[in-house]
Amino acid sequence: MLVVPGRDAAGVVDAAMIEIEAVSKTFETKRDRRHLAITDVSLAVAAGEFVSILGPSGCGKSTLLYIVGGFVMPSTGAVTVSGRAVTGPGPDRGPVFQEFALFPWKTVLGNVMYGLERSGIAKAEARKRARELLALVHLSAYETFYPKELSGGMKQRVALARTLAYRPTILLMDEPFGALDAHTRTRLQNDLLDIWERDRKTVLFVTHSVEEAVFLSDRVAVMTRSPGRIKEIIPIALPRPRDRAALLLDRRYQDYVVHIEQLMEIPAEGA
Amino acid sequence: MTRLASLPGIAPLMACAALLAVWELAARAIGIDGLPPASQALAQVPVILGDPEALLNIADSLRRMATGFALALCVAIPIGLTMGRSRQVAAFFNPLLMVIYPVPKAALMPIIMLWLGIGDASKTLVIFLGVSLPIVYHSYQGSRAVEEKILWSAAAMGMGAPARLARIVLPAALPEILVGCRTGLVLALITMVTSEMIARQTGIGNILFNSLDMAQYDTVYAMIVIIGVLGYTLDVAFEGLRSRLVGWAAPAHDIVAGTT
Repeated sequence: MLVVPGRDAAGVVDAAMIEIEAVSKTFETKRDRRHLAITDVSLAVAAGEFVSILGPSGCGKSTLLYIVGGFVMPSTGAVTVSGRAVTGPGPDRGPVFQEFALFPWKTVLGNVMYGLERSGIAKAEARKRARELLALVHLSAYETFYPKELSGGMKQRVALARTLAYRPTILLMDEPFGALDAHTRTRLQNDLLDIWERDRKTVLFVTHSVEEAVFLSDRVAVMTRSPGRIKEIIPIALPRPRDRAALLLDRRYQDYVVHIEQLMEIPAEGA
Repeated sequence: MTRLASLPGIAPLMACAALLAVWELAARAIGIDGLPPASQALAQVPVILGDPEALLNIADSLRRMATGFALALCVAIPIGLTMGRSRQVAAFFNPLLMVIYPVPKAALMPIIMLWLGIGDASKTLVIFLGVSLPIVYHSYQGSRAVEEKILWSAAAMGMGAPARLARIVLPAALPEILVGCRTGLVLALITMVTSEMIARQTGIGNILFNSLDMAQYDTVYAMIVIIGVLGYTLDVAFEGLRSRLVGWAAPAHDIVAGTT
């Protein structure tokens, strides 16, 4: 009998939540030059899993995330989400960008309600849900503020609430804390884990910080320098819920950080 | 003196007073018909504003200006926004705009009059053309500058491209669009007067140039003052509207401490 891997007896695909299969992306640059951003990347992410993509800047890790989001089309290969091929963006995959990308003409509350109003929920209901989310990200006192009046950390909290509002099954986080100072970054990492523990959404998290990747993730996919490919995937077998102070003293946490840093130091070919 | 000058509204008033004083003195010193003293010209302002026929003329002008301006908003903003989001659309319209831009719109007036006569239609069309270009240009710039990630965020919410243009690109580009509208408003006033100069029938320009023909120089200068005040009033009103519409945007200039 022919055994098809990943299928059970009924033929139902026992697929991962996100399946990235042999994805490459070439950008056409000016004067007919081509830039191979990522090449032959395969990665499967299970439902409820928190996976980080870690790599040096310019390794194409954000490009990979945009391809999963449907914002960028791969040159070769394919991405499936919940068994369906990705052909464009959709509310099942909620992005959070380093640039926050808030709607500057909307108040904090208006931003969080925006995706809800799109989905046809009554305004009163949308407002109620938006307020719950603002409470979740500790911004209840700021609902009438405009984005320009907020600090970077607050903007990213609003962006997270705005994305969570329309209940995506997957969070796509593109260096979300990369533009924040160290203190704010730490606080937001803690808050993100608290929020994630409530319903354990599938998260694909792009970062260049080794500590951040180890602290947050179930698995860390380390990418090589351009053209980016996955060098190694390291499962992080640290207990949850995670406590930063305890973890920093934990020998296993330290070992992961050291191991991954060493992995990243080895120069890739041509680098 | 410096403290007095720093009071709000004092500086512009002093500038006006200085201009009138120079005008008055120069007119009395030179003493030609073509330059009546300021006092004499200003005395005509209430006369003009008290004349129902003159008021009807001014109302005619303003109506054409408003129509041309409104039409320009309806046409120019969608074109500019679409150009900013589509390279093909930009490639189509850009050369057209480059050709039309340096042509003085009033210079088209005689040709347009051949098609549409000397009535409202020709004048409104010329105003429309004059106003459209800066609005197209600034809408285009504003639309191009919209952050890609903002559009992606909306796309992830399930918003399609047409909805994004109306609900994301338009509000995001609004501060820049309004810069174009402000320029457009001034151009509307200018093309309005010039069009009435060429096709005399009714309007502010008609009064002005008829008075000039009849050597009623004090009326001519009074009309120029009225046009100037009209332009200033429209601009102040527009700025008020603009700051209400785009108060959410980081102020680009004129930041007064304590107003944010």
